[in-house]
Amino acid sequence: SLASPSSLQGSELHGWRPPVDCVRANELCAAESNCSSRYRTLRQCLAGRDRNTMLANKECQAALEVLQESPLYDCRCKRGMKKELQCLQIYWSIHLGLTEGEEFYEASPYEPITSRLSDIFRLASIFSGTGADPAMSVKSNHCLDAAKACNLNENCKRLRSAYISTCNREVSNFERCNRRKCHKALRQFFDRVPSEYTYRMLFCSCRDQACAERRRQTILPICSYEDKEKPNCLELRNMCRADHLCRSRLADFHANCRASYQTMTSCPSDNYQACLGSYAGMIGFDMTPNYVDSNPTSIVVSPWCSCRGSGNMEEECEKFLKDFTENPCLRNAIQAFGNGTDVNVSP
Amino acid sequence: ALGLYFSRDTYSEKLYVDEPAGTPLLYVHALQDTRGEVPHFHLGQHLYSTYRSQSHKNDWFQINEDTGLLYLNQSLDQRALEKLSARNGGFPLRTIYLQVFLSPKPFQEHECHWPSCAKVMLFIINATMPACSSLKPREFCFLETGLSFRIKENKPPGTFHQFRLLPVQHLCPNISISYQFHRDEDLPFHSDKDTMEVSMKHSLDREQKEKYELIAKCTVRDGLREEDVMAPFPVTVYDEDDSPPSFPTGINTASAIVEYKRKEGTVLAVLQVFDADVVPSSGEIQRKYTHTMLTSDPWVTEFFRVEHYPNETSYTSNGSRVRAMMHVYKLVLNRSLPITESRSFQLEVLVNDTDFQGPRGALLLYFNVSILPVSIRFPNNTYYFSVNRNAHRYAQIGKVCIENCKEFHGVNVTYRLQSPSTNCTALGIITTPESTTGTLFVNDSSVLQRSECTEMQYTVVASDRQSKKQAKTLLIISIEGNYFPEEEGCPISCAVNKKRLECEECGGLGSLMGTCQWTFGDGKGISKNFSTCTPSLKTCPDGNCDAVESRDLHICPQDCIRGEIIGGHERGEWKGIKAGYGVCNCFPEEKKCFCEPDDDKEPLCDEVCRMVI
Repeated sequence: SLASPSSLQGSELHGWRPPVDCVRANELCAAESNCSSRYRTLRQCLAGRDRNTMLANKECQAALEVLQESPLYDCRCKRGMKKELQCLQIYWSIHLGLTEGEEFYEASPYEPITSRLSDIFRLASIFSGTGADPAMSVKSNHCLDAAKACNLNENCKRLRSAYISTCNREVSNFERCNRRKCHKALRQFFDRVPSEYTYRMLFCSCRDQACAERRRQTILPICSYEDKEKPNCLELRNMCRADHLCRSRLADFHANCRASYQTMTSCPSDNYQACLGSYAGMIGFDMTPNYVDSNPTSIVVSPWCSCRGSGNMEEECEKFLKDFTENPCLRNAIQAFGNGTDVNVSP
Repeated sequence: ALGLYFSRDTYSEKLYVDEPAGTPLLYVHALQDTRGEVPHFHLGQHLYSTYRSQSHKNDWFQINEDTGLLYLNQSLDQRALEKLSARNGGFPLRTIYLQVFLSPKPFQEHECHWPSCAKVMLFIINATMPACSSLKPREFCFLETGLSFRIKENKPPGTFHQFRLLPVQHLCPNISISYQFHRDEDLPFHSDKDTMEVSMKHSLDREQKEKYELIAKCTVRDGLREEDVMAPFPVTVYDEDDSPPSFPTGINTASAIVEYKRKEGTVLAVLQVFDADVVPSSGEIQRKYTHTMLTSDPWVTEFFRVEHYPNETSYTSNGSRVRAMMHVYKLVLNRSLPITESRSFQLEVLVNDTDFQGPRGALLLYFNVSILPVSIRFPNNTYYFSVNRNAHRYAQIGKVCIENCKEFHGVNVTYRLQSPSTNCTALGIITTPESTTGTLFVNDSSVLQRSECTEMQYTVVASDRQSKKQAKTLLIISIEGNYFPEEEGCPISCAVNKKRLECEECGGLGSLMGTCQWTFGDGKGISKNFSTCTPSLKTCPDGNCDAVESRDLHICPQDCIRGEIIGGHERGEWKGIKAGYGVCNCFPEEKKCFCEPDDDKEPLCDEVCRMVI
């Protein structure tokens, strides 16, 4: 290893430190001639070559080793940060060369979410002014309440009507709407409106079909979700991975919602908030998930794809799809949000 | 290619801190592609942690090259664990994995993908091994992660699983554990009572059965206590291309007649090809399932193409569902065909399942194509229409249409008018290409008002742009009624009027009789039947901005507006008001429409209130 003994010891002693974001790490690297030249070399190595041919090259190998010790190696991005796309481009420019080809689960380029659902409940009760647990009132339609609450907030109302009108505008007999614009408007809504509002609309709990139908309609699925044909899920994943933002959001979903049998809630670190956040983070991309029907109690979400035509990859396809449709972590997180409960985890 | 393959793509086991060196962890199994192949197992050089790339050189684990037994060659202690955690990017270290390769010598590390590489996941439990007495029966038998196996069809049978959990058994040798299948009559698998190994009795055929949903039963005996634990044991049979394509109902020929529908993209005929294989999969099917039009005639390849749509289907074999593929081949017009074209031919299309190794991997599809010429002619000898003397400019008088005009697709017919005299010619004609019709409209309303004009005569000429073929017919229009001068101060557009009274007092562009017409809505909220003032109930508002209306926004802004619509409404697909609330009136000059109830009292409903609450 090229690291000095002191720096290695330091990281072992202090354990994990919050990483710098990749835009900043890129600046730091650019300021140092050794790092910046190695980074340029690596980018050239990665362009158009697979990992093995790249690693066979001495110069590429050396560049990789130097960069593993630079701030670029551990850098992360923040959701909705300024220059998010640039940050992710820097992240993947290094990590696509480091990971083993096409991994089933990829590392998330985003910083871990440390806040908890209970933080949202506290805020939500301040907003509603009652302080009452939303699950207490039996008769009310929570999804309707969520829409009302959004309309009472200028920012939420503005961005919501923006995506509703964009996603509702028919283009022609053959094209129901401009999907690209609809997705963009949805991303803006989920990126810029606080999760107190957006989660309430997306994850409200329901007792009847009308409520569940409203919940299903939240993202205007006829435009943003449904399509003429259902692609194969693995092909949809390939499409998503071709786009840095979609790839990152999917990796983040896998990092935060992937079911674990090692925790009580089935969620990684028992963090519901992180799972819900990365679920909402996929809305407005190729992998946009939604409720598959308006069943009030059994919650099944899925991207718009199926495992038909998988050939010998059916098992892998089912495994990918089940992370949405039969994921106990995601299901528990959605239900916990609807019930207004969170797990008590000692900090 | 490497013949041997792993029976799973991921193996897993629990790993406690401070387990002693020499602890056996698990067996990996390789199955043969051809008889006589001998596996050599190798570990990848590195230990990986979830989501992180290269994490550490593997100093702790070893594999027996011949048996596939993975074991600890050095105890993984707290210090080693800390060392690994420090390079895990801030995530708690819960799982590490190794790569096991399967290859002949010399060994070369490459990317880890099934079938020649498998991952071994080790779930790290940050505690020392528990006492045997504290373990539940299930923990002696199965892991929480579940089992699943992959067996390729048509390959030699072999051993593919070892039931025993080696670390538990190593720690608690006194507890007796045995395994068997819950119901194993006539299954192609065998579990050996002594070795606790599972093997195949014979090679498998996916086209017979592709999933075996077995239940493994584990019996734990501890002294006198005995307990059974069940676990699902699914085996998936992997496909190879061992079935040739065939015709599902024996039909290999389809006929196509091209007559009026000659437009590019028209589907002329469809044939289906069945293939019991599900490989190649959808990602590579277009590359490996090829089709070629067997023709040396460049004209055929210019005007026709074959489109291939693979579709997964399934059939039942011995009571279980087996997936298969149905390939749909469509003969499609590649270009619009000229109306003069007349010929018949047979087109052969070669479909080739290129992965299939036997004979009969290719099939011939036959398309019998007949192209009939179509002629352009008018059905009547003469068209008679009448027009009111008070009609305004753009009033639609009638439509002319060649024989079978509704059937035509992809033929460019245009209509024009010829007049023998220059007196009394007030009409224009516009061709609507989608319906191949011509619409007659008033182009000069001042001519109608001249009392000497009582009749107009024209020759209508329909011509095909491509072939220059023409058809002609006579058109006689009588001018009826008396001329009444219009009231002072009437607007140009009928749509401006908001009340019935002012609507029916005046005329506007497009009005047939000199006055506008009022239409009553149904008053049911935002409705397609909204109240509005229109030049002609027949054409406006009908949700379609037709060829005449699109000449001038004043004629029917209700169908043609692209600008702002204020009030409760639903927009049309391209333009216009699809549905409105109450009365809709428009101001074409400002490119604005208003939809609001007559009494002006209720508040306006915006986009959000329409959609959601």
